[in-house]
Amino acid sequence: MRLKNGALSTIFFFPAGIFMLVFLVYPIFLLIRDSFYKIDIINPSLREFVGFANYTNSLTSERFLKALWNTVVYIGIAVGFEFILGLILALLLSNAFKGSQFIRTLLLSPLMLAPLVTGIIWKFMLNDQFGIINWGLYKLGILSDPHQILWLSDSRFALYSTIIADIWLTTPFIMLVLLAGIKGIPISLYESAEMDGANKWHRFRYITFPSLIPVATVALLIRIIDAARTFDIVWVLTQGGPGFSSELLSTYMYKTLTRYGEVGQSSAMAVIFIIILLVLSSFFITKMWSPRRRHS
Amino acid sequence: MAHIPLKETFAEKPVWFVNFHVKHKIWTLIVLLTTCLLALLFLGPYIYLLLTSLKPSAEAVTAPPTLWPSKFSLENYLKMFDYLPIGKYFLNSLITAGTSTILSVFFGAMAAYGISRFSSITGSYFLLFTLVIRMVPMISIAIPIYMIVKSMGLIDTHFALILVYTSLNVPFAIWLMIGFFDSVPKEFDEAARVDGCSWIGAFIRIILPVSLPGLATTAIFTFMLAWNDFLFSLLMTSTNAKTATVGISEFLTAYNLDLGPMTAAAISFSLPVMIFSFFVQRYIVSGMTLGAVKE
Repeated sequence: MRLKNGALSTIFFFPAGIFMLVFLVYPIFLLIRDSFYKIDIINPSLREFVGFANYTNSLTSERFLKALWNTVVYIGIAVGFEFILGLILALLLSNAFKGSQFIRTLLLSPLMLAPLVTGIIWKFMLNDQFGIINWGLYKLGILSDPHQILWLSDSRFALYSTIIADIWLTTPFIMLVLLAGIKGIPISLYESAEMDGANKWHRFRYITFPSLIPVATVALLIRIIDAARTFDIVWVLTQGGPGFSSELLSTYMYKTLTRYGEVGQSSAMAVIFIIILLVLSSFFITKMWSPRRRHS
Repeated sequence: MAHIPLKETFAEKPVWFVNFHVKHKIWTLIVLLTTCLLALLFLGPYIYLLLTSLKPSAEAVTAPPTLWPSKFSLENYLKMFDYLPIGKYFLNSLITAGTSTILSVFFGAMAAYGISRFSSITGSYFLLFTLVIRMVPMISIAIPIYMIVKSMGLIDTHFALILVYTSLNVPFAIWLMIGFFDSVPKEFDEAARVDGCSWIGAFIRIILPVSLPGLATTAIFTFMLAWNDFLFSLLMTSTNAKTATVGISEFLTAYNLDLGPMTAAAISFSLPVMIFSFFVQRYIVSGMTLGAVKE
């Protein structure tokens, strides 16, 4: 008995399809629908249609805009540093010196570290009483008092403390992607450049850097989206405090749902968040997708 | 290489050769030192966590803090069981991550096979779908998922977590496996079916074993995603199905002063995973650079 291609493909796809339909596709529709209602989490069946009120409330709310701004700052600084550090590390490791393989392997081991553990580690190290960071800076003479900087409880520093933790966690990933990109550059390019008398800086500027742009773009896109989704690290370190100074979109949305019980409001914010990321990524994707088609 | 005294090696060579040789050695040294410094910077915090967990409990939160334990002790590891039902939380993590991995890999591979073999048009649309899903922030999708699970009365059950983790992992699993299946030639399938196997039989008995590297990579990633998850577990569990991630974070709120056991729990949670990923790094690297770099 020979089944038609279409029917067979459906059978193979069916179980996975069900999972995705129920827990990925349907929730999106539910999210959009809920965003137009005022719903209390305790009694969700009592719902009140409010039209676009949730959206306008969010977009004019000071806390939402502050969370949005914090998220932008977070992404900008974190991704910026991760790329610079990752590039430096990738360039260093691309020189095949003795032990570079080993160091690369070591540096890649935090790749699978849970963001939660990252939060735990840095919460521990940045503590102003017994944290090793403050004490180390004091010993180096940078601080006059071993408890001077309240990394996590001073509203001036809280956001930047979370960014430091993120940079620490993610730079190895960027290094990995950039290193793979560098390895893919044909040596012949370098050889002919060297014959023409190009020094190290010229080689980097005219060969390495341009060749890395496609790889870096993809990594950049992935990172921007992941940075926007950060929740674990910030939640463990500051919970968005003190006083909303480190509140990101993700933590604010979580609180709106669980602490204030506003399902409709948080749904509207979720939709806004999705739209922002989709617009951002579609810009990158259109740039990426056409070259892909040509290759395949 | 025979050892030749330096004086004789460079005696006959012109000056520019000597300069170049020395410059190269200095440059290599700089590179080596900088790399080691940066490597230390990145591994330092985790090593610090490990050392702290091996200190006697009271030493973890001294002011001024110490780097090295005064004496090595497993006190923290024993104490962590006293404060919270950590054993139960670890078991929950294992159950939910393990089961969802098995489901994601199997159903994902099946779906990928269907797409790879029977409809390539769907295949490219599916890649797009996976990318789009990736763009949805976790918190955005967590809100309606929470409402769905709540309406099914499945809050705080292993079952709900397993379903959610599987669904989150399946798109990536399918995408990875499509790549692997595309590299297995169709003649292979024909040979398998010649012996009278049905499509499903051929799939299970012959195609799957051949794609073991792809399956391994998929399994590693899906397990990691579920094992390391914090948000969904925080949202959807309270006592019964609470996983290790949420459990460890509770040390911070409940037992703010005695943080030694917390470091022990964090190490217990992450060290086996790190050691394991050290050995399977090849698979992890291939999975992460897939799509970012052309092979």
